[in-house]
Amino acid sequence: MMIEFQNASYSYIKGNGVNNLNVKIDEGEFAFLIGPTGSGKTTLMRLIYFDLIPDAGMVIVGKYSSSTITTRKIPGARKGVGMVFQDYKLLGDRNLFENTALPLHALGFPGKEIVDRVEEALDLVGLETKNEHLPMELSGGEQQRACLARAIVKEPDILLADEPTGNLDPVASFELVRLLETINEMGTTILMASHNYNLIKGRGRRILEIKNGTLRGS
Amino acid sequence: MDKIHYLISEGFKNIWRHKMTAFTAVFSLFLALFFVGLMATAGENTHKILQYLRAKYKIEVFFDQDVANEKALGLIHQIKKINGVRTATLIKKEDAMRIFKDQFGEDILDILGYNPLPVSAVINLVRASKVPVKADPIVNKIKTMKGVAEVRYQGSLIRKIERTYYRILGKLPVIAGIVVLVAVLVIYNTVKLSVYSRRQLILTLEMIGATRTFIKMPFIFEGFFIAILSSSIAFPALVGTIETGNYILANFTSWGIRLSFDPAIWIWLFVLSATITILGSYRAIAGILK
Repeated sequence: MMIEFQNASYSYIKGNGVNNLNVKIDEGEFAFLIGPTGSGKTTLMRLIYFDLIPDAGMVIVGKYSSSTITTRKIPGARKGVGMVFQDYKLLGDRNLFENTALPLHALGFPGKEIVDRVEEALDLVGLETKNEHLPMELSGGEQQRACLARAIVKEPDILLADEPTGNLDPVASFELVRLLETINEMGTTILMASHNYNLIKGRGRRILEIKNGTLRGS
Repeated sequence: MDKIHYLISEGFKNIWRHKMTAFTAVFSLFLALFFVGLMATAGENTHKILQYLRAKYKIEVFFDQDVANEKALGLIHQIKKINGVRTATLIKKEDAMRIFKDQFGEDILDILGYNPLPVSAVINLVRASKVPVKADPIVNKIKTMKGVAEVRYQGSLIRKIERTYYRILGKLPVIAGIVVLVAVLVIYNTVKLSVYSRRQLILTLEMIGATRTFIKMPFIFEGFFIAILSSSIAFPALVGTIETGNYILANFTSWGIRLSFDPAIWIWLFVLSATITILGSYRAIAGILK
């Protein structure tokens, strides 16, 4: 699934946002999005999963376009997009298995397939032995990997990772990027936002630089 | 099928996961429903107290000294024909003497050497529940009859009781309306707070691609279970309160009143709480979703 921004702009009531974005991320690509805090990385990500709709221009994600999408169609568009957040957004009242299974229940998968897929996803992120644990019983790195398991369990075409290493130590950060590279090798398009240049340099991936809401180059 | 099963079980699990929130919701709903139920029961039983008081209404008619028992019977027959009179009972001179002895412990013949007590009658009034009892027109008619010396009745007391009852009856729908409105607001806001406390769950579900229906359904089921639970607690609590009331009335008063209770009230309490919890959940989630 391809992502394309065509002269897309979005501004918040209090200012900032993104201006006139023009970029295309190909199917199966692993791209990094780099920029300082408040530069518009999260806004760009939110435009991809239609949490925000551009004020001007257009964002195309697979067969969905921001110019024609309706509120009813947004859940459908998000089915093909997995998301990893800096603050994990795991549900504290459910164990790891239940957190990971959530997207599959939402998509109406049968019970047996849910069990198989969740076990597979937890195995991939190395948390297969902690499926009964609550998020609060896991370390920061484990929580982030749990968040990743929840994002990939539905086998999305696109994986968006918004500052996934923001709360992790260097070792855990490196491991997470390695994990994302493994997922990308399976064919998933990945866009990872970060402000840690040292983590992403030298990986042979395209790096998109955003500053004050404008893409500076790639 | 798996999805429906999951949504229903989530509704149940949410109650268990958020025990304190669920307990607060159930307790608030229970209190609100209990007061609505009490109000409905009070409305249903108010007339019983009035009927008890009305049973005490009586008009005493004293005939002239020269009116004999036979003539008095004729007058009583006429009195019975007056609209609003239920019964009229003759009290002969001898009966009056016996009553005097019962009340004062002395024989009037021993004191005076003759019986000065006149023939009299005790009149009871018709106790229609829809309209106030009016004793004055009956008394006025009796007073115009030849042979009637004196008519005694508790005119001002009857007027006061009747006026007060119909005044309460007129205001009861307003009071009930206020109680129901307060109950609705309490339940609605409790549900809204309960949903709002799980804002992160709703937003996370929205972000992972869950449809609005998928997000709303567990909350709707949860509201439904809470409504069943709270109305199921409110119902026996009401029965217990009314039975306690009946025990007190039977053992500590001589009023002969037994409070009645319509079991169908459980259905009404459930319908009220289920409607508000479901509607409240639905609207609260809609307010959080973009």
